[in-house]
Amino acid sequence: MSTSGLAYTGGVGFALWRRSLLELARVRGGLLPTTLAPLIFLLGSLGQFGRLDQLVGFPTTSYIAWLVPLSCLQAAGFAGGATGANLARDIEAGWFDRLLSSPAPRPLLILGPVMAAVTRCLVPVTVILAAGLVLGPGLTGGLFGIAMLYLAAVSFSIVASLWGITLALRARSQQVGPLIQNGVFVAVFLSTAYTPLPFLKGWLAVAAPYNPVTYVLQMGRQATVSGIEPSWAHTWPGLLALAGMVALFGLLALRQLRRVDR
Amino acid sequence: MSTVALERDVATQGRVIVALTERALRVQMRRAQFLLPSFLLPLLLLAVIASGTSAAQQLPGFPSTGSYVGFVVSGTIMQGTLLAGLMAGIAIASDIEGGFFDRLLSAPVNRASIVLGRVLGTAVIGIAQAVLFLSVALAFGADFPGGIVGVALAILLAALSASAAAGLGAAIALRTGSLSLMQNLFPFVFVLLFIAPAFFPRELLSPVLETISVVNPLSYVVEGMRGALFDSSALGSVALGFAAAAGSVLLTCALAVWAMRARVRS
Amino acid sequence: MNGAEKLGRRTDATIEAEGLERVYPGGLRAVDGVDLAVEAGEIYGFLGPNGAGKSTTVRILTTLLRPTAGHARVAGYDVVKQASQVRRSIGVALQEAALDPLMTGRELLQLQGALHGLRRAESRSRAEQLLERVDLVDAADRLLNTYSGGMRRRLDLAMALVHRPSVLFLDEPTTGLDPVSRSSLWGELRSLNDEGTTIFLTTQYLEEAEQLADRVGIIDHGKIVAEGTPQELGRLVGDPGLYVKLIDPSQSDRARELLAVHGSVSDRGEGCLSLRTVLGARAIAPIVRTLDEAQIEVDAVEVEEPTLDDVFLAVTGHRAEEPGEDGSP
Repeated sequence: MSTSGLAYTGGVGFALWRRSLLELARVRGGLLPTTLAPLIFLLGSLGQFGRLDQLVGFPTTSYIAWLVPLSCLQAAGFAGGATGANLARDIEAGWFDRLLSSPAPRPLLILGPVMAAVTRCLVPVTVILAAGLVLGPGLTGGLFGIAMLYLAAVSFSIVASLWGITLALRARSQQVGPLIQNGVFVAVFLSTAYTPLPFLKGWLAVAAPYNPVTYVLQMGRQATVSGIEPSWAHTWPGLLALAGMVALFGLLALRQLRRVDR
Repeated sequence: MSTVALERDVATQGRVIVALTERALRVQMRRAQFLLPSFLLPLLLLAVIASGTSAAQQLPGFPSTGSYVGFVVSGTIMQGTLLAGLMAGIAIASDIEGGFFDRLLSAPVNRASIVLGRVLGTAVIGIAQAVLFLSVALAFGADFPGGIVGVALAILLAALSASAAAGLGAAIALRTGSLSLMQNLFPFVFVLLFIAPAFFPRELLSPVLETISVVNPLSYVVEGMRGALFDSSALGSVALGFAAAAGSVLLTCALAVWAMRARVRS
Repeated sequence: MNGAEKLGRRTDATIEAEGLERVYPGGLRAVDGVDLAVEAGEIYGFLGPNGAGKSTTVRILTTLLRPTAGHARVAGYDVVKQASQVRRSIGVALQEAALDPLMTGRELLQLQGALHGLRRAESRSRAEQLLERVDLVDAADRLLNTYSGGMRRRLDLAMALVHRPSVLFLDEPTTGLDPVSRSSLWGELRSLNDEGTTIFLTTQYLEEAEQLADRVGIIDHGKIVAEGTPQELGRLVGDPGLYVKLIDPSQSDRARELLAVHGSVSDRGEGCLSLRTVLGARAIAPIVRTLDEAQIEVDAVEVEEPTLDDVFLAVTGHRAEEPGEDGSP
């Protein structure tokens, strides 16, 4: 790509990212639902299932340490999915037509929502991590652990955003919103959400090892779960899973974008 | 009012309530995309919890109920009825915003009948949910020693619970008339659910939650349901469950009728 | 300009379409064999009722929708194969005036500039220039949700102009605007056209087409049913009409007899008559004189502009009814 091409790409990317930030800054309480719902889920699950940490062989003696990375991932996924729902709204309102009728390269047009997802997810993820620190024993994984938790969450918000964009481009209607978020919910919870692999029973014991989110969770849990100590072995499967999901949903989103004029 | 007129009046109101119940159900069925989540979400959570937390049965103090899914399905039924109640509130709010509600009010219909029609419609949905969720639990290995009678009592409790939830949804919808507010109440379904021993026995909840759950009527309903299904007073008192459920229905329906009166006056 | 002359095959047209067709997946044939040839510097009015296929045609010409058959070139580029070159050449203001309510006018213009590859400084000065042009300087830093309908349309137009396009597509630019906003927008379009911009606009208003367009195409059920200058189309309707309102309705029979010498008269009831006459507005003085001599008092005499409905009726033989979803009017 030529220098001017790069400058152009950067300019469009920056402009679309700024627009997504404006939305955060100017809608009062716009982030509340995506923050509140995972927080309620965190506290509720903690209250219901908190005694699970007494199971023999559970990798931490603090159930909240087990749950916080899950809730961070859930929040990041919802924040990413929400950008898909917003794209559906933009399509319905005709705003997306304006972008489509400009000469901007097509992939740049979905860069806006993806970057919005990255930005958006930072708020709920940080709030939940802070709540976890107040209630729980602390960060056992040190700086590396925190970095891995944020990397997992941010990357997962990109995956969820690309999934949402794919559905939004296909349905072109805001009604697709719940479907996007339910998909995120299923992906997050059909994993080692509540207990580690050895404690899973029945079909989940079969399914969870095949769910990439299981490995993303493991990567993020290096931050708070003492039994998952920071190590490359606990990191690379998560990175691989994230890379695979970004590639898969990225391709699906681009394919759907190419079909948008049909 | 003479006895004959009173009877006729009761009969008329009965017909009105039946018609409104039918309408509530029919509209809910047509908007399947809104109703469906109140069946699917609880099943999803049931699947996750039954499989993901079943190791809990190894915890000391966890009651032995055979399969774990049989224990947690009562919480799933509660979740379903709460969602159905929220849907009822959303339906009323959209009736208000769409103007259909004014037409109802301008008809010579008893105000309480309008609320009751919606509440009964939701009760039917609650029964359907309970039947579905219990069948799923049975299919996945649950065993209910309470037998037919226990299952029937649990379904009845589900109907009452759905009625109470619908009364609460209706009260909020009638008071605020705002569709977007109703839609934003979604997370609070989980608040109500999680501050009851929905999926774990009360003694095994975290201490804070155990304290809060004492004042949550849902706690007694869900325990009553387990008591009935497993024919075990150790799991919960069926009588207490019915008392809590019936009390909630009376309270929330009274709130809804009061909110309706306030709306008509304003 | 002579419309008939332009109907001949021209290859240097700025917008040309041949056998353009769009069938939606449900089977709806929204555009059904449209041919177009719009010359550089022309204002072309695309006239038709709701659902006739106007917007679908515009979406095809602006690369937003693929035709299912036929082809089209805009500014010399094929709308399917050379879509990005087309996008560089055109400015688009679509029907919904889709503007992000959470952004300010200035931010929207700068975003549009970035989308078209303007540098930041360039984009900023271009925004300034355009805000002035469409008279939105005072509102430039207010959020869009405080803008009136007229302001939105003006901003929409300004956004379409950011990259100085040679062809401008406007989908119903004045629908829903008050008369003052409408005529100010018309003025702006005329001056753009004077600067050399080719303009393709759709409208439901015959008046708008007459005011602006050099040439008008009428579309009905996805087909172009008539094309020509506004005058030519107006003539299809027949003689111009006059509307006469009497003060005393009981005199209308008598007035009807008297006016028959000027043209064909029909009684509309309640003291209102309409008269078709070759003289048009020039018939007003003789009419008033005739009625005055017979001591019939006249409340009002007005020239009746033919409406889109009239033209439609003349061209297609049916009224420009709006296809309601349930079939009811």
